[in-house]
Formats: sequence, structure tokens, C-alpha cells
Amino acid sequence: MRIAIEAVGVLAPGLPDWDSTQAVLAGRQPFASAPLAPCAPASLPPAERRRSSPTVRLAIAAAEQALQRTAIPPQDMALVFSSPEAAGVITHQLCEVLAGSREVSPTQFHNSVHNAPSGYYSIAMNAKLGATSVCRGPWSFAAGLLGAAVQALCDDVPVLYVCYDSPLPAPLSDVMPVLEATVIALVIAPRPTAATLAAWRLAVAPAEGDVAWPGWMPGAWRANASARGFAALATLSGGAGASAALPLSTELNVQVARC
Amino acid sequence: MVMQPLAVLSYTTTSAAGLGKADTARALREERSGLAPNDLPWAPLECWIGRIVAAESVALPEALGAFDCRNNRLALLALEQDGFLDAVAAARARLGAGRIAVFLGTSTSGILSTELAYQGRDPATGSLPAAFRYDTVHNLDATTEFVRRVLGLAGPAMTISTACSSSAKVFCLAERFIRQGLADAAVVGGVDSLCHTTLYGFSALQLVAPDICRPFDTARRGLTIGEAAGFALLERGAGALQLMGYGETSDAHHMSAPHPEGDGARRAMLEALERAQLSARQIDYINLHGTATPANDRAEGRAVHGIFGTGTPCSSTKGVTGHTLGAAGITEAAIALLSLEHDFQPGSPTTREVDPETQCAFTPHGQARKLARVMSNSFGFGGNNCALVFGKGA
Repeated sequence: MRIAIEAVGVLAPGLPDWDSTQAVLAGRQPFASAPLAPCAPASLPPAERRRSSPTVRLAIAAAEQALQRTAIPPQDMALVFSSPEAAGVITHQLCEVLAGSREVSPTQFHNSVHNAPSGYYSIAMNAKLGATSVCRGPWSFAAGLLGAAVQALCDDVPVLYVCYDSPLPAPLSDVMPVLEATVIALVIAPRPTAATLAAWRLAVAPAEGDVAWPGWMPGAWRANASARGFAALATLSGGAGASAALPLSTELNVQVARC
Repeated sequence: MVMQPLAVLSYTTTSAAGLGKADTARALREERSGLAPNDLPWAPLECWIGRIVAAESVALPEALGAFDCRNNRLALLALEQDGFLDAVAAARARLGAGRIAVFLGTSTSGILSTELAYQGRDPATGSLPAAFRYDTVHNLDATTEFVRRVLGLAGPAMTISTACSSSAKVFCLAERFIRQGLADAAVVGGVDSLCHTTLYGFSALQLVAPDICRPFDTARRGLTIGEAAGFALLERGAGALQLMGYGETSDAHHMSAPHPEGDGARRAMLEALERAQLSARQIDYINLHGTATPANDRAEGRAVHGIFGTGTPCSSTKGVTGHTLGAAGITEAAIALLSLEHDFQPGSPTTREVDPETQCAFTPHGQARKLARVMSNSFGFGGNNCALVFGKGA
């Protein structure tokens, strides 16, 4: 499968956008962690911004970055969002309430669905094509990328792909230790355009041992499924033939090769 | 957008209406509801539920003990019906384990285990009980990985979680994976089980009926939550039963309320017809999402009327199964397939007086009728819509 990467958005502590990320991936700048400012996506009306969860705001803020770097209107894109745990802090709040008074807030409940980020995004952007939200635990980046690629190719439509991890509070963080936020947003086109950054050839292949994490990456991010995407982004700084392996299961990888 | 039909080699459904296809078909034919007044000792709410008591005592294989939770017990019970395990084993022997994908939908996975773990937090430290597992029990992918292991499959796998359209959208994903050559066949399906989150959450939104749900009824007062699991085995090529089309859209309107005229639902149905290369007249029956909330049924009915007028009989089977949320898509896909196999158009036995505001040809009583092509609708929070078209092969 061959897809075109049109634009990238990134949010992580120390990587506030694609330009700074590219500098680190290309080795022009050392990685330096810096607290991530709270996200306030411009496209969310103030009321929705207040009602939405931090995960929703995080995913949409990274998506907005990618949109600013492409001429493709958001209304023309199908959506594939992926996360190992999209509800996170909302799940914690709900479970606390359910263990006590059981007086659940209606907003909290609708924010608890895994597709809340893509739902809020579709409302903010008036994006009316299909929206799919995927979970594949630690392999969520590769799984979502495949889902986005097959949709772009089968439906001949650009796809906004966003994969994200949002920090979890204790005690959930004891069993799912996501401590820092990481998000990668990609605008994917079914074939190259004048503005294409690079084309990727994707293939599913048997995994041969564990895939190594990038050396520059903080160890804490290894709990984040979305951080697997940095290896794929590094191919955008490399030349033709640059490649990366993204784990899809214990037995399979997605091989990404720049072409 | 056009697709080649995919064969449905095997399918199965388990809900409060019945364990497996024969039980379910009998309930539909006899217009017998599987719903009952809520008797869950752990969630004393004034409402009805669709509970599958038989799932509660299912024992998981020892090697997969870490996956033990209500959702995975229900998944295993459903897998064991209708010869589904044998059908998958035969496909695995023929195609290879790595050529069969697994795509399941769920809205809450095994969250009940987490809810119970929160009730058992250490009062001093706040920590969860040491035995609690998140990744194999609560993570939305836990049931998909469990099912993949039970079936011994090694192809690409993932979970779709788009609330109540989840296990309809897995059919779309499977078609795309097969078309792009990433798999030759796919096990699709969905599993959702009763938990505090959905029972108390939908109650907070005032969407749960105090009485049994009555889809499209003038006096409808909300939904009845049920649990369910179901699976289908899809393969490239034609078959006696086929997936013929699908449509996926977003309302871009509201997180938990439908577009008032069902605009997103309408576009999803039109897209499904386009993929199947069928006109509205060629659809013989529509299994509606029909949750029985005042707003949902009105919006869906008007969207259906806009495309089909009053020429296509439709009904909601949620009065029989309950609203099984993330499993609603597969439950109603299975009912659509059953209706084709049996040439029987299901009714809506809990509906007493059809609300004229819903406009479409809602048909409360089931009847024997030749059916060649049927549509099934599933809509979820986030304004997430999916319509599927199934038909008989030539």
C-alpha cells in the first residue's frame, strides 16, 4: 500500500510542533523536555472547550497543527483517531463517582466514550465524513495507521489520522503508566499532491524480536502507544528508502518505507 | 464508491433474546422479549435490562485466565454457539491463521472489573486491589485480543470503539482490509456487557425508560440497556449471504443528541446504497437503530422516510434484545442475516401505537416475506453513523 503524507502535527513535552520535532529527529537539535502548555484548541467554541476533556483538547490541538499545513479542507477528510485509552481521566472520575454517590454527570458520561475526541473534532470542523476511533492497546499507532491507509485508498479520500496518549491519574496510572502526553496527527492522501512531504509504502510483516525505541526519546514515553509513531516520522527527515518498523501485535509489524 | 460483495460464511448472536441463532430467531418469530425488570444486585435502578445470566458462570481457558471478566465470559459463550469455532477453524486451515483479521467493536469492554476495583481501593493508599488487571480486562482491546487468541488467529486485529455504531463499523474495516490485500478473511463482531458506567450514565442523561423500551411508540420514554455478543466470518468473494454495502458518516452536530432531521443517518444510508449499487426500492426491510428515545427515533424515522418514503417496511428489534450499545451493530447485523435466511421480517413486539411523527413505514408485527436485501442502521454518540446492506447471493 502506498499513501502520501501531506502534513504533520505533534504535541509532546519538549516537542510543541512539527518543526521542533523534525529538528530533533534529524539530529539538528538535542531533545530537551519542557512542560506542555495546556491545550486550548481555537476551533472548539468556548462552551465545548470547557465541557471537553483534556484528551479531547490535546487530540484536537495536534490536529489543528496538521490542518494549518495543508490546503485540504477539513470537511473533505475522513477521520481515523486511535488511542490505547482515550477516556483516561474521565474513566477515573466516573469510577470514583460510581464507587460512591453514583451521581454521574451527563457531560462526564458522554465524554467517557472512546470516540469523544473525534466527535468533538467533527463538530468543531463541521467534518461530516466517516469517523472511526480505534484501540489496539500498545499497538494502537500501527493499527490506526493501517485503518487510515486502507480508508484513504479504498474510498479515494484524504484521511486525518490522530493517535494520542493522555496522562492518567493514580490509581489508574499504576496499571497503565501513561505519565506524559504524546500526540501525532497526519494528513494522509491516497496519492501524492504538489504539497506531499513524502510517500510511504506500508506492509504488514512478521515481527522479528522487539522493535527498539528511538535513542533520544524519554523512557517514560515507552508506555505511550502514540510514541511509536516517532520512528515513522523520522523517515520524513531521511531520504528515499528510509524505513521504520511499527509493532502491530506480538507477531506482526507494520513496515513503513519512504518511497 | 462501489464494493464487490463479501461472503458471510458463518455468524452467531447471543443476547437476552437467546443464545445463538435458533433461539434468537424463535424469539423474533414468537415476538418474545428477552428483557426483564432490573434484578442486578449491584445496580439497583428502576428500569428494565437485557441480562445474559448464562454468561456469568462461564469459565475461561486456564491459559487465558488473565482475561477473566464479564465481557470476555460473554464473548466466549457467544463464540461457542452455532458452530462458529468450527467455521473459523476450517477457514484457518484453508487460508492460514495470518490471513484472517479480527476486528471487534465495544463501548465499555470489561470496565465493570475496574468499577469493582474502585469499590475495593485501599482506604489508606487509594491503590487498586493487587489482583486487578487493566490491559487484559478493561482496555478496549482486551476482548479483541482474547477472541483472537481463542480463535488461534494471527492476522491484523484491532478494536473499533465509536459508542453504539462500533460493531457495525467493523464490517467496513474488514471490507477495506480484504480489498487492500491485508487479509483474505476477517472475524468481525462486538461484545458489550452490563456495567455501572452505562446504566448510571444513560440514566443521568435521562435516556433510560422506567418501563420496557418501546421503539417508535408515541409513548416511548427511552432505551433499555442490554448486553450481547456476536460474530461473523467474512471472506473475499460471493456467498449465499453477503455484505453488499456500507456507509459511514458524522452528524457534526452534538455529542449525545442526533441531528433533528437525521441528516447524518440519511447520508450513511445513501452511501451504503451507493456502495451496494442498489436503489432504495431494492431494499426489502430495514432493521432500524430504533433505541426508543424520543429524539433518536424521530430523527431516524424522518431520515428513513426521506429516502424510502413509506415503501420499505422497517422495525427496531431493541424491544427484544435491548440496546446492546457497542454490540448493537453485530446483534442487528445478525438479525438482518437471520431475516434473509428465514424470509422473515421481524417486528417490534413492545411497540403499541406507532408515532406518526416518525413518518417511515414502521411495522410492529413480524411477518413471513421473501427478503432479498436488507439494511441495518447503527448510530452512536459523537454523531457517529453506520448503515450496512446485506443480501442473498445469486
